Amino acid sequence: MAFHLTRLLRGNRDLSTFLTCAAVSFVLLALPPAAKETAGRALSGVVLGPFKRLTTAAIETAQVREENAALRRIAAELMNERNALIEHRQENERLRELLRVLVTFPEEESFELLPARVIGMPGGRVIERMEIDRGAEHGARAGMAVVTPEGLVGKVVTVHPTRALVEPLANASSAVSVVTERGRVRGVLKPRYHAASELTTWQIDYVPARSDVEPGDRVITSGLGGVVPAGLSVGTVTSVEDGPLTMEVDVRLNVDFSKVEHVFVITGTRSGPRPLTDMEEKLLREIEKLSEEEHE
Amino acid sequence: MRLGAYAALAFVAVVLDATVAPEVEILGARPDLLVLVVVYGSLALGSRPATIGGFLMGLVVDTELPEYLGLHAFALAVVGFLSAGIWEHLVRSNVFVQCGVLLVATMLHDGIYYLVYYRNHLDMYTSFLARYGLLGGLYTAALGALVFGLARARGWRAIAGDRSP
Repeated sequence: MAFHLTRLLRGNRDLSTFLTCAAVSFVLLALPPAAKETAGRALSGVVLGPFKRLTTAAIETAQVREENAALRRIAAELMNERNALIEHRQENERLRELLRVLVTFPEEESFELLPARVIGMPGGRVIERMEIDRGAEHGARAGMAVVTPEGLVGKVVTVHPTRALVEPLANASSAVSVVTERGRVRGVLKPRYHAASELTTWQIDYVPARSDVEPGDRVITSGLGGVVPAGLSVGTVTSVEDGPLTMEVDVRLNVDFSKVEHVFVITGTRSGPRPLTDMEEKLLREIEKLSEEEHE
Repeated sequence: MRLGAYAALAFVAVVLDATVAPEVEILGARPDLLVLVVVYGSLALGSRPATIGGFLMGLVVDTELPEYLGLHAFALAVVGFLSAGIWEHLVRSNVFVQCGVLLVATMLHDGIYYLVYYRNHLDMYTSFLARYGLLGGLYTAALGALVFGLARARGWRAIAGDRSP
């Protein structure tokens, strides 16, 4: 039997190789656990250890990179959201102020106000025109005055169905009849563009010499001409220079045209205060409540 | 395939099996790179290199779980020996045949391993073999198809050439 087996194995090297491997495997399996543990750990540390550490480091690096990219993306999204929130908060404050004006505009002479958003400012260094997102379909007409809570902005000059162009006081051809609130001195407010300094200032023309005008006097619209209603705040007198025939009266406007975002078109006036709607009364109460909370 | 290349490939397979294979699991099953190398080793080089290669690769892998030191070595030696024997009776240039051999070889390897590992829990043995053995076998067979395609494209006649009996 043993002889035949030996002959078989000698004649078949493949089989003998396999049987040898199998035998060694069984011997290893039969080793005491402690010996297997010692041998296994030694072999594993030498053969696979360095590669496993290397691969683990590579995989972790790749994961960290992915995580880093994801975090960067999230950070960018959060930054955008934060900017949007800041923008919304600022817009909210502006709208709240506009709402306050819409609800509480001059009680003695109430105006029909059409809220509008400025959607364009064609022109170069001087703001020649403002484009608003309200037009004929909303009730806007050429010649109507345009205001903000701070005061007069200009007047509507061109009307399209859903938008309109406003000529602001900064426009070179702008001319508005005004009056000083204290001395009731009338004149025509016109812009002066200074090319050297690239600045626009405003002066009241046709003010007779020795008129009762002082720096600090409030300037309002006179209502002459029938285009712009009387009593709209325009600005403040900054300097006065008396001449032989007329005075030079410089005015600082209340409205900064470069920062105007929301305006009202005065579509009409009515005698006596306008009755508030339920919604407006509710809004007014909420605004007053918010204002009190802010003050506290 | 030269013996040196086979040894290098076997070493790479052992390292990848211990490091990268867990990262490419599908439904808990991973490709059996060792079986892949042993089976193609038997195809290209014959029985003895495949058997010894399988045994040595299995031995290195066994060091990861010393309690069963020798078990992988035995299972892969069986795979190497039997696959070398079975190639003599098959059309080796057929991709489906190669994939089939890989599937059976993987299940054979897992069958031997799980049989010892779950010797006291035969119900777990069958479920593990049915799930991970079969899925792993299919995974390995799919990789085998890729190897076959690569062999065809590169002109490795030992693997892709028609040497049918």
